[in-house]
Amino acid sequence: MFRSILGAACVAASLSTAAFAEQWRAPEEVLQELIDSKESAYLTQSEQNIMMMPDNAALFVAEEGKVLFHEPRGPNAVSLETCDLGKGPGVVDGAYVELPRYFEDTGRVMDLESRLVHCMTSIQGFAPDSPEVKTRHGSTSDMMKLQTYIASQSSGYPWNPPLDHPLEKAMRDAGEVLFYRRSGTSDFACSTCHTQTGKRIRASVLPNVKDPQEWTKAISWPAFSVGPQEVRSSNHRIQGCYWQMRQPQSIPGSDAAIALLSFWTDAARGQAAILPDKKR
Amino acid sequence: MTIDRQTAFGAALAAGLLVLTSAASAGPPAPQAAYTAMSPEELADYLIFEAGGFDLNAPTQDGGTARDRMVQDRIQKVCSAIGRSGKALDRATAAKISALAEESMVFPEGGIVLGDWKRGEKIARSGFGYRIGRDTDDHTREPPGGNCYACHQLDPKEIAHGTVGPSLANYGTLRGTNDAMLKHTYQILYNAHLFFPCTTMPRFGEHGTLTAEQIADVMAYLLDPASPVNQAALPTAETAQAARD
Repeated sequence: MFRSILGAACVAASLSTAAFAEQWRAPEEVLQELIDSKESAYLTQSEQNIMMMPDNAALFVAEEGKVLFHEPRGPNAVSLETCDLGKGPGVVDGAYVELPRYFEDTGRVMDLESRLVHCMTSIQGFAPDSPEVKTRHGSTSDMMKLQTYIASQSSGYPWNPPLDHPLEKAMRDAGEVLFYRRSGTSDFACSTCHTQTGKRIRASVLPNVKDPQEWTKAISWPAFSVGPQEVRSSNHRIQGCYWQMRQPQSIPGSDAAIALLSFWTDAARGQAAILPDKKR
Repeated sequence: MTIDRQTAFGAALAAGLLVLTSAASAGPPAPQAAYTAMSPEELADYLIFEAGGFDLNAPTQDGGTARDRMVQDRIQKVCSAIGRSGKALDRATAAKISALAEESMVFPEGGIVLGDWKRGEKIARSGFGYRIGRDTDDHTREPPGGNCYACHQLDPKEIAHGTVGPSLANYGTLRGTNDAMLKHTYQILYNAHLFFPCTTMPRFGEHGTLTAEQIADVMAYLLDPASPVNQAALPTAETAQAARD
């Protein structure tokens, strides 16, 4: 009798935990919870950044993105409220943590950036080479404002990119190959720096892809980058890594970039996203 | 596309992918449907070389194109697969990697000598060189460095050193400078896979990213008794005890 009551209580408790995990939480709260739950030199390396999280400049960029999202824009003078990011037209809550994913209408696995390009060109009628679509970097670009807004609506949701479609699986697996793929003048791969815990490049502590609690912070882009003083995207991070690896510049929206994003998002599966984040 | 690559893609390409090869960077994105017919390795290579994943036509400092940087040699290919599998390197593969490193080794004609540790220190501290893309390193402006501090502790006074590689503080003090140690150090800088198969240490000699003179200078920084690398107080019984307390 007692055992069954206890059992029922446990089920209820785990159900409520699951329900709790599926809702928005402030990025600073998510980060603090991670720091409290484990010892990680990576998570705690910048005390100043942790303190500044509630005043993250990226929050203002997200606000601007929210306005842009709902504003009628482009040659067709319509908003992005019919843009399907995977959870139905206009649904942004928890959409980002389930990307990249397969989209029936395009027959492709797409990340947030390529899906936004798709919506801006097909719904709003922007030309692919218009500045609104083409400019991908900097806090003042439409693309970064929109990405930061959409991503911020997934803060606290656990990363959960779908892998049901064979293409989602194929892209994730190819991304894993890319992550471990050594080449170039220095034989570097992403894995050179990101498969051990607590290691440093110079003074910077590196996140470990095999530790989801570290990796969720590592992939929580858009984030305000303190050095360049701007909000940066996942694709910008990938480009930075390839530059450091002495390898060719990766192309945002390419299937190689999306494959890499599929793998690295899968590696953080189950851990809550910290969006927008603040990074060194 | 070379004969080699056709062989590599084999059946997957025959399944209808050849039509995609012209659609690399411009125009509408190629359909992804055929991706599931490829192995993860084939798809990764396809995404790099055929599907516009990277700016492959950018020039490099060594007179080639960025594409060359993505073509893997034997050591890169084998060590990537081992890393991804998460398994330990087996003895037979380790021996093969080590043999490849042995084959690559070229020793200086005049014998292995120590250069200038002060020049070596500059090389060890410099992370400049060979980066391409948005901000390409101009080697006519500044010689490429070895970026040793990114991964190793060297001068014990330097706080901002990496830890991906082992500490090399007191490298020379602990090892001395006899001919065997000079050769050993040279081999590690030239191609460390000889002793550490599938190491993450770059092959500065085999890839030619450091010149013979630069390698001699870095060796001096490591081994010269006057180098700051060798000025640390060695731990005594008392300091070791203090560290434990």
